[in-house]
Order: sequence, then C-alpha cells, then structure tokens
Amino acid sequence: MEDKKRWAHTLAARVIFVAAFLGLWEYVAKSGMMGEKSELIFPSLEVIGGALVKNFVQGYAGMSLWVYIGNSMRLLLEGLLIGIILAFLLSGLSMVSRVFYDICNLVISVFDLLPGVALLPVVIIIFGVKPGVIVFLVIHAVLWPMARNVLDGFLAVPRIYIEAGQNMGLKGASLLWGVYIPAATSYIVSGLKVGWARAWRGLISAEMIFGVASCPGIGLFINQMRTNMNNAEMYATLVVIIIIGLVVQYGVLSPIEKCTVKKWGMSR
Amino acid sequence: MKKEEAILEVQNLSKVFDANTDNEKDVLKDVSLQVARNEFLCILGPSGCGKTTLLRCIAGFEGYEGSVLVNGQERRLPGTDRIMVFQDFNQLFPWKTVEKNIQYPLKRQGIRDKAMLKERSEDVLQKVKLSGYEKYYPYQLSGGMKQRVAIAKALALKPEIILMDEPFAALDAMTRNELQDELMRISLEEKCTIIFITHNIQEAIVLGTRILVLAQEGKIVVDEKNRIEKPVTPASEGYGATWERLHSALYQ
Repeated sequence: MEDKKRWAHTLAARVIFVAAFLGLWEYVAKSGMMGEKSELIFPSLEVIGGALVKNFVQGYAGMSLWVYIGNSMRLLLEGLLIGIILAFLLSGLSMVSRVFYDICNLVISVFDLLPGVALLPVVIIIFGVKPGVIVFLVIHAVLWPMARNVLDGFLAVPRIYIEAGQNMGLKGASLLWGVYIPAATSYIVSGLKVGWARAWRGLISAEMIFGVASCPGIGLFINQMRTNMNNAEMYATLVVIIIIGLVVQYGVLSPIEKCTVKKWGMSR
Repeated sequence: MKKEEAILEVQNLSKVFDANTDNEKDVLKDVSLQVARNEFLCILGPSGCGKTTLLRCIAGFEGYEGSVLVNGQERRLPGTDRIMVFQDFNQLFPWKTVEKNIQYPLKRQGIRDKAMLKERSEDVLQKVKLSGYEKYYPYQLSGGMKQRVAIAKALALKPEIILMDEPFAALDAMTRNELQDELMRISLEEKCTIIFITHNIQEAIVLGTRILVLAQEGKIVVDEKNRIEKPVTPASEGYGATWERLHSALYQ
C-alpha cells in the first residue's frame, strides 16, 4: 500500500514537472520573445511533433529515422557486448594474477581518462572510415568504466563468502562464477549503467563527427539536420535520443536490478 | 585413545602471524590434538589464545606448520569433509534462497537429481525447525534463523567434521539457549563429529562431550571428558564443580 502511494506520488511529481516544462516552452515559442531567431531556437511543440513524424515517415536521404536508429543500435550492441566480455576477462584475470592486476589497474586508469573522440583521428588513420571505428569507440567507452567497477566489486567481496565457497570445494573459475560474480552484482550493475551511458554518448559523438555512408546512424542524422538548419527535426531527434535512453534505463537496467540485487536484499 | 578411532588428528601445528617482522607472534605453538568419531569437542579459551586460528587451520583457510589428518589423510586445503559454520550471520549467499543455499554445495558434489536435492534440503531444514522457509532469501531471516540455515547446510553435506566458530556468540540469550538445545539434540541424533569454539563455559558444559581449555599459543591446559548427563542444566550433578574447574583454568 505504502509502495503504491509512493509510486503515485513520484509519477504525479514527474508528470507535473514535464507538463510545466512543455507549457513554458510553448509559451516562449508562441510569444516570440527571442526575436527573429525565435522559430529556430524555440520551435513550437506542434512543429517539433510534426518534425518527429516527418523524421520517421520521410526521413533523410530517402531513409526513415528507423534505419538510422537500427544502424546505431546494431553498432552499439556489438560494441557493448565485446566491451562487457573484455571487462569481465580483464577483471577476472586480475583476480588470478597479481602482475596482471597491477598492469590492468594502470591501463584502466589511463584509458578511462581518454575521451573516445580524442582517439578518433588515430583510429581513423589505422582503420579507415568504417563502421568498425564506431564499434571500437563504443568498446573504448564501455570497457574501462565497466572493468573498473567489476574489479572494485571483486575486491569488495566479503572474505566470508569466498571462504564459504572454498569450503564447498569451489576454486578458480568456479569460485569466480559461483561467488565473485553474484557477490559483486551491485557493482556490475552500476558498471553497466555508467558503461551504457558512456557508450551511448560516445556513439552519437562519433557519428556526428564523421558519418559512415555505408552505415549511417542517428548521430549522422542529427548532424545533417543541423547542417540543413532543420532545427525542429533536430529537436525531434534529440527527443528520440532521450526516449531511447529512457527505454534502456527503465526497460533493461532497472529490471536487471530488480531481479538481482533488489530481490536479494543487497540494495534498497 | 587408540589411534584408529581418531577421525581428526592435529600434529605439532604451529602458526606465526607477521613472520619476520617486529610484530612476529606465535599464535599456535606445537599444538597436538586428536578428536574421536562422534565426539562433540568444545574448545574454551580467552581471546587471543588462538582457538579460532586453530579451527581455521583445520578448515584449511590458513597456512601452517605441522599437519592435519582426517581419517589418516593429510589435509592442507579447504574441503567438504570439514564444513565450517562461522560466527558471522552473513555466511549464507544472499543471492540464493535458503533452499538453494543448502542445495548448491550438494550440487557441487555431483548430486543432480532434483527430487533428491529437495528431499535432503527439506530434511535438514526440518531438523533445524525451519520447514516452510525454503523460498526465503537470507535477508528476510533473523540472525538466529540464518545460523540455523548455516547448520542445516553443514548437516546436508554430511561432512566428517563440523567446525563451529562461536556460531551463537552474537545471538541474544534466549535464542542462544534455544539453539544450544537444538544443536545438542541434533548432535545426538545425527552421530556427527563437531568441534565447537566458545567463550562461554555454560555453553561448553551443555554441549560438549569433551572440553578443552586453551591458554596463550594454543597450549592445552584442560582436556577432559564431560561426564555430566545430557541434557545438562545448572542443577545437573557435577555442573557446579565442572564450572568452577573450567572457570579457574580459563582465568588463571
């Protein structure tokens, strides 16, 4: 009962906030208070809504926005998957070998500070302008924060779980799978959150800086809208980017949390 | 005691903390000990006498000099023949239900049959009076219930020896008495060998069939059979005298 009330409260607060924000936007747009550029900076909601429909129906260069989204998501998933696997590999090996741990720690600290976009020129020189470059940047974005979190999670596993595991005959890989990974789940989930956010931003930035004609993504789309001064379409694409982010947060990450750490009482 | 009877044999076990530093300390020095099958051995001792370390060495969690033999076989690493029940309530895996916590080590031992796993876990849960809690997660249980599950988990594995490191020390007095009674009943029914570490003289007399008192460096100062008839109450014959004897050995 209490939960339901709290939930309704949260929902009401959010709906009121969003409605107020949109109302203010519409007021500024309609009043024309920004002068002659008003239509560019604050296109009215119905114009943005129309642009949103147009993005999907008409699209750009003969392709609907769906195609661009699909391309981006494919590269993103590929990069995320490889990045996450590599992160587990690095942190797992770090638990086995002290030397590997020391090196890994340094490598993570160094690369975590390097923005993917700053690597872009070098990566393009090496690989050329290919979709692989985007995948590379997504891997770069997700790997380091994820590896850092998983490693911290492994190091924070209470000794008693490890000993209880050893007592029942777990060692090496079975101890990693049976004790370290489940015990570090809250760290792994927070690593996923950070990793996903970085990957999503990195992807859009990379696509905006250079578009791959063979695999045009959502970043390229928004950039084309910018160059053509289609500001309403640009806003509409931003809305789509936000919606995808929210879908992943509430449709994927929250359920993962709910079926693991929350269910186990490891997080409130 | 004849050697064949010993299920556990500790020979000249020594353990040094912070070796080769200024803080070097002998925690255990040349400790030798035999435990017979079906014995309930209670080890009493002041803080820092090395009783927990001794148990951890037997369990295989610590490196040491000397040897630990189970049924005549040398043991250096942890194994399911010596199951530890810790003092810490958080020894169950929080990501598994009560039932799965009990079944997981059994599965690791190669028992795949679901019906058999279920039967085993239900059986031991009934022994610790926790039937009906199969699907609970550890965080939903009280401290005493978690310790019961830990005992059930140990029983299910049917180990050669159950090692208990003050499992009831963090419980309130009432729960503690209740669990003592149950552990005693279980130990009589199950025919298991238990080494039980405690600070509490009453606990040692109530539970143990044999009582050891350790002094610093693991020196055994008392080693006697507990002949008081079970169930032991403070009114039992010989309770007072035994209590006095252990108390003076403990606080000498």
